Amino acid sequence: MERHLLPDEIDQLLDGEVGFETAPLKAHVRGCAECTQALERGRAVVQELEHLPQLRPSLAFSDRVMSKVQVFVPWHVALADWARGLVPRNRSWRIAAITGLATAGALLTAVSVWALMRLDAVLFVSEMLWDRLRAEAMSLLASAVGSVLGDGAAVAFRASGAMGVGLLVAALAGCALLAFGTVRAVAARSRAR
Amino acid sequence: MPAPPHLDLVNLPDADLAALARAGRESAFRELVRRYERPVFSLIFRMVRDRETSEDLAQETFIKVLNHIDRYRPEFKFSSWLFKIANNLTIDHLRKRQLKTISIDGSPHAATAAEVEASTFDVEARGESALEEMQSRELGSAIEKAIAKLRPEYRACILLRHVEDRSYEEIAATLDLPLGTVKTYIHRARHELRDALASLRE
Repeated sequence: MERHLLPDEIDQLLDGEVGFETAPLKAHVRGCAECTQALERGRAVVQELEHLPQLRPSLAFSDRVMSKVQVFVPWHVALADWARGLVPRNRSWRIAAITGLATAGALLTAVSVWALMRLDAVLFVSEMLWDRLRAEAMSLLASAVGSVLGDGAAVAFRASGAMGVGLLVAALAGCALLAFGTVRAVAARSRAR
Repeated sequence: MPAPPHLDLVNLPDADLAALARAGRESAFRELVRRYERPVFSLIFRMVRDRETSEDLAQETFIKVLNHIDRYRPEFKFSSWLFKIANNLTIDHLRKRQLKTISIDGSPHAATAAEVEASTFDVEARGESALEEMQSRELGSAIEKAIAKLRPEYRACILLRHVEDRSYEEIAATLDLPLGTVKTYIHRARHELRDALASLRE
């Protein structure tokens, strides 16, 4: 090469580029004091840049950032965290919890198997209990209707059966909603004042 | 909601931290801030050269990134995305600052002598505040002064290349510039720095 290196060629060498294009550049530098100096000056600038310190913001910087960041926890992550929170951290307690769960599981399985083997007896007893419960509830509701609306209403209620119960429940629910709505309206009006 | 205790956040790659942050782990957010607060602040401070403004811009950068962490795509580097936003906010600020430059000879819209006097900017020597003194110390070296004289585009490229050790390709992706333009900016920045330092030493 019969000329000195161009600034861009110096930069090519500074960038550490390799290849057949840089070979003649390197060869020239080896034999040219002026270009060696130019390359050294370039290296010195790069060295100074690479040794510049990273400057630090104030100590409260990350707290100020976090005060404005919205941390949103997806529901499945919250559920997993809640479940993880139920697991004891202490090893002995973990073993005790697992043993307890295993025992409860085994007992439940045994009871289920026993019940399945005696399904007809279980169904008979369940039906008997249900009938008893229904009769008691009907009697209770009828005496409540009788005490409010008189004996005639109580008799009519007993005769109506499930439909009567449904109507009574609907009437009670309606009264509850009305009461709730009234209280809300009154509260809203008093707040507006 | 804290991260599970067995996780060592300090050694996790950025993409994994970002995934934990998306899952609502506050500690992951904090680790991302801790990891990048110095590089982001350094880049902005050397561009803007005002500590208070730099902290505001750095804060805004992190808030923007972390509040939109769901937009981060793991196939790209998290740091590139962060630096891109930092650079965009800084360039916008520098442009607004340029538009607000006050004439030291008074407002061109002043009609009377009283209005000219009211809008004239008095340039007088004044003592440095503690903050300014700290800034002078931090950015007072010859190389820092030379960097301050570079055009903002050259400054961003040279700082990302040699202070943050980013490759040319990463810088091009971060600043949305063609690769050739990034190389040109860096080469020109080096030349200007070489000349500035040489004249200071003479």
